[in-house]
Amino acid sequence: MAFLEWLQQLPFFVMIAESGSIWGYPTILVLHTAGLALVVGSALVVSARLLGMGALAPMSAFELLRPIMWVGFTVNAISGFILFAIAATAKAAQVVFWIKLSLVAVALVVTVRIMRIVEGAGDQGAVPASGRVLAVVSLLTWTGAIVAGRLMAYIK
Amino acid sequence: MAIEAFAQYLQNTPVSLFLQSQAPWLWPLSETLHFIGLALLIGATGFFDLRLLGFMKRVPIAVARQFMPLALFGFALNLTTGILFFVALPSQYVSSWAWWGKVAFLLVAGCNAMFFETTQGARILAIKEGEDTPLTFKAVGAVSLLAWFAVLYFGRMLPFFAEIR
Repeated sequence: MAFLEWLQQLPFFVMIAESGSIWGYPTILVLHTAGLALVVGSALVVSARLLGMGALAPMSAFELLRPIMWVGFTVNAISGFILFAIAATAKAAQVVFWIKLSLVAVALVVTVRIMRIVEGAGDQGAVPASGRVLAVVSLLTWTGAIVAGRLMAYIK
Repeated sequence: MAIEAFAQYLQNTPVSLFLQSQAPWLWPLSETLHFIGLALLIGATGFFDLRLLGFMKRVPIAVARQFMPLALFGFALNLTTGILFFVALPSQYVSSWAWWGKVAFLLVAGCNAMFFETTQGARILAIKEGEDTPLTFKAVGAVSLLAWFAVLYFGRMLPFFAEIR
């Protein structure tokens, strides 16, 4: 806990939390939401493809979504860390925060495995049964992470 | 301003008062759905926009469009929850720069999509797999991406932007 108190009192995080500037806390929130759109939006589209939507689209074309997802994920890892750090002791005490983090971790692992299937699929390759399971888990964990993230503002 | 009088009137209607009374559970639920809708909408629309811009040429445009039901579902979610937010607290929205910015870019995105569907839809099938997209398609894709991220920006800034007065 001493570490969390030290963290949230670092001048950089205090400045973001208290500056009152549009470029401080609000902008970090915007970045976190835009990153969400990139990561979860792309993951939902790839998962839908594995579940049969747009089945005529060659799987390997979805490789384009990999860098988009990594950009979104990096933005959200950094913005998420800042959002955590400016109120570290309060966030760490929220059960729903740890639920969100766990869901993101599972979703990330599942998405990496999905992208491995995308990479390995030939243009006419059928989706393996494991791909459909992964797609369902991806849909559930990413939307679950959104639910938990939003509830962090309400369940203290 | 007339719009403020209307907002005042709306905020005192039984529907609005009921929504306000249900806020403790209705607001978190609607916000959560609004964020899920956002991911569906920008995910599927962005995917189609990238194809319009000329990426993923091996995906026929008509096939890329088969993901649009996800976007329409997300849009329906967000329109429903968005109307709910507005009806519950209209005064705080009409007096916010961020809300007007959001509405303006929603109109841009909507007109852009309508322009594409009504005037360019027939050209989709004429473009073969692997073929580059015409300039009109690229412009529509770029406007769509910019407009939806602007909608996201102003939406997320709603709690922070200074009031008009």
